[in-house]
Amino acid sequence: MKAKINIKLLLATSGLLMLMSSCEAIKPYQKTYLNEEEMQLSMRKPETFEVNFESYREGGSGANGGKVGGGCGCN
Amino acid sequence: MQLKYALLLIACGMATAAVAQEKAKDPKQFQQISPADVNILASYYTQDGNHSPVTGGIGTEQLTDVTPTIIVNVPLDTVTNLNVNFGMDFYSSASTDNIDPFTVSSASSSDTRTHINIGLSRNKNLHRVIRNINIGVSKEYDYTSFSVGAGWTKGSRDGNRELSLAGQVFLDAIKIIYPIELRDQGNFVSSYKRQSYNFSGTLSQVINRRLQISLSSDIVYQTGLLSTTFHRVYFQEQEAPEVEQLPASRFKFPFGLRLNYYAGDYFTARLFYRFYNDSWGISSQTVELETPVKLGPFFSIYPFYRYYSQTAADYFAPYGEHRLDEEYYTSDYDLSDLSSHKAGLGVRYSPLFGISKFNLPLAGNSTLFKSIELRAAQYWRSDGLHAFIISTDLGFSIPSGQ
Repeated sequence: MKAKINIKLLLATSGLLMLMSSCEAIKPYQKTYLNEEEMQLSMRKPETFEVNFESYREGGSGANGGKVGGGCGCN
Repeated sequence: MQLKYALLLIACGMATAAVAQEKAKDPKQFQQISPADVNILASYYTQDGNHSPVTGGIGTEQLTDVTPTIIVNVPLDTVTNLNVNFGMDFYSSASTDNIDPFTVSSASSSDTRTHINIGLSRNKNLHRVIRNINIGVSKEYDYTSFSVGAGWTKGSRDGNRELSLAGQVFLDAIKIIYPIELRDQGNFVSSYKRQSYNFSGTLSQVINRRLQISLSSDIVYQTGLLSTTFHRVYFQEQEAPEVEQLPASRFKFPFGLRLNYYAGDYFTARLFYRFYNDSWGISSQTVELETPVKLGPFFSIYPFYRYYSQTAADYFAPYGEHRLDEEYYTSDYDLSDLSSHKAGLGVRYSPLFGISKFNLPLAGNSTLFKSIELRAAQYWRSDGLHAFIISTDLGFSIPSGQ
C-alpha cells in the first residue's frame, strides 16, 4: 500500500517537474489569453460561499484560498 | 433585526466608498489612482440530512443560511490598498434546536454571525513585492474569534512566476453549551479556547501562452477545544449520551494544484486537484473541473463539477457504536468515511464599459455597475445529506477624481 502511494507520488512529482521544465518565457504582450478573466488562478468571489460550506460538511479543507480552521462555530 | 444588519452593511459600503472619493479628491495626489472596487455578494444555502451530531448521529440536519457580504477595495495611494470584507450569516438550524428539544423554539434554533476583516497591502512595483497585513473579528452567540495575519508576494522579473507566503492566527473563545440533559453533570471539557495557526505558500507559474498553473500548500495547527460541546454521542453499554470528545490538537496538511487552460476563443478549462491529510486520520482527495464557455464577448456560462472523497477520522463511529473505554469519540458524519458530488452552473456578464452608471449618496463621481455573476450548485453526500446553494456577486467601480 505504502509502495503504491510512493509510486503515485513519484509519478505526480515527475509530471509536475516535466510541466515546470517545459515553461516558455512569455512576454507581456503575449499574455492576451492568460489575462482573460476566466484564466485567473484565484477562486471566483461567489465561490467562497461554497468553499465555506464544504469546509464544514467535509473533513478536508484548504490549499484553495478558503477557510482551513478557526474563525467560526460552524454549525 | 435583519433589516438593521442589512442597513449597517449598506452604510459600511457607502462610508468606505466615500473615503475612497475623499482620497481621490486630495489635491496632493498627482498620480492616477486606480478606482475603488466594491463587490456586493450574497448567498442562500439550504441543506437536509438525517445524521445530526447534535442528536448523536441520527436526526434532522435541516439548515438554512443567508449570507450578505460586502468587499471594498480602496486604493489609498499608488502603492497602498485598503481592503474591507464585512458580512453576516443569518442561519436557522433544526439540528442545533435539538440541544434543548423541550423548548418549542430555543435560542439555538437561529443565530447571526457577524464578521469583518480589514487588510492593508503595499505594492512595491520596483521590487515586484506585495506585503499585506490583516485583522479580523467574528462574533456569533456562542463563538467569538479574533484573527491577525500577514503575507508576502514576490513576482519574477519576467512576470511569469509568483511566490506567495502567508500566515494567519485565529484566537477563538467558545461559550460552552451542553445538551440539556447533561447540564447538571459538571464540566466535560477543560478549555473554552481554540487557537489555529495557518501557514500557506503558493507558487504560480506561466507554462505557455495558453496554460498556467499554481501549486498551493497549507500547514495548519489547531489546539484547544476542538470538539463541539453540544454534540451528543451514544454508546453500546449505556442509554444516556456523553458529550463529544476529540483530541486537543490537530495538524492539517492540504496540497493543491490549480491548472487553467485556454482552449480557444470560446472555451477555457479550469482544473483543481487537492490532496489532504491530517493527524486525526482523515485523508481526502478533491477534483473539480470548470469549463467556462463564452457566448459573447462579455457573457459567459460555466458548468462545473466537483468530486470529493475522504476516509473517516480515527474517532468516528455511528449512533450507539462507540465503547465507553474509548478516550475520544464522535458521531459527527462530517468526520465519517464519505464521498460527495457537486454540480452546478454559473453565469457572468461583464461588459467592457460596465452595465450602467449611477450616483451614490456621499460619493461625488458616478459609480459604474461593472459586472454581475450568478451561480447555483447542488451537493450530494454519500450519507444522504444534500444541499443547494445559490450565490451572486455584483461588481461596482468608483473612479478616482485624479
